[in-house]
Amino acid sequence: MHGYTLSALVACGAVIGLELAVLRTGLLRRRTLWIAFLIILFFQVIVDGWLTKLSAPIVIYGRRHLSGARFPWDIPVEDFLFGWAMCTLALLLWERQPDASDVDPEPRPVFRRRSSSLDR
Amino acid sequence: MARFQYLALLGLCLAGTLPLELLLGVRVWRRPARLARSVLPVALAFCVYDVLAIGAGWWDYDPRFVTGWKVGFGLPIEELAFFLVIPVCAILTIEAVRVRLRRR
Repeated sequence: MHGYTLSALVACGAVIGLELAVLRTGLLRRRTLWIAFLIILFFQVIVDGWLTKLSAPIVIYGRRHLSGARFPWDIPVEDFLFGWAMCTLALLLWERQPDASDVDPEPRPVFRRRSSSLDR
Repeated sequence: MARFQYLALLGLCLAGTLPLELLLGVRVWRRPARLARSVLPVALAFCVYDVLAIGAGWWDYDPRFVTGWKVGFGLPIEELAFFLVIPVCAILTIEAVRVRLRRR
């Protein structure tokens, strides 16, 4: 049985269930989350691509525990489910705890570039 | 030096996202309690998942590219670091998206 495949699907389901039943942040309905996730996905492909490249993998998978589908490059598709579950859980927990910054959400650069387009 | 490769990759993730805090001004590292409460439960859950997976033979690590240091239950320190670093980077990312969208 493909243990990794099944557990990764279960993990995603558990995170969604936790949001719907307990956390109720509404974050999964917001554009911000999905834009962030696209950015995360981009970097995941780079980082995970390096970790899993079959030429010299840092992480080695037991063949019978995954579907065997690898895309892009040698990244097991399960890694995307696993990564989504992990990142989304962290984002939901972050979202769940409002603090004073949510009222005054002004960013505060520590270093200001000389002619920053961010300056008003 | 090759055995620090995985850790170095995680270090690059942290270094690469640091400008979001220092230049873009998201306040993620500067809200450490909220960050800890978001990341630590996730790290704990996924460490447990990882220990079970390693035990079941789902995956393993090439000893050439990891330090060999374990934090207990066979969990490589690199995996603990991964479960701390990546969620932090994810939170930095969403806060950065918020800052940029607000400004548009």
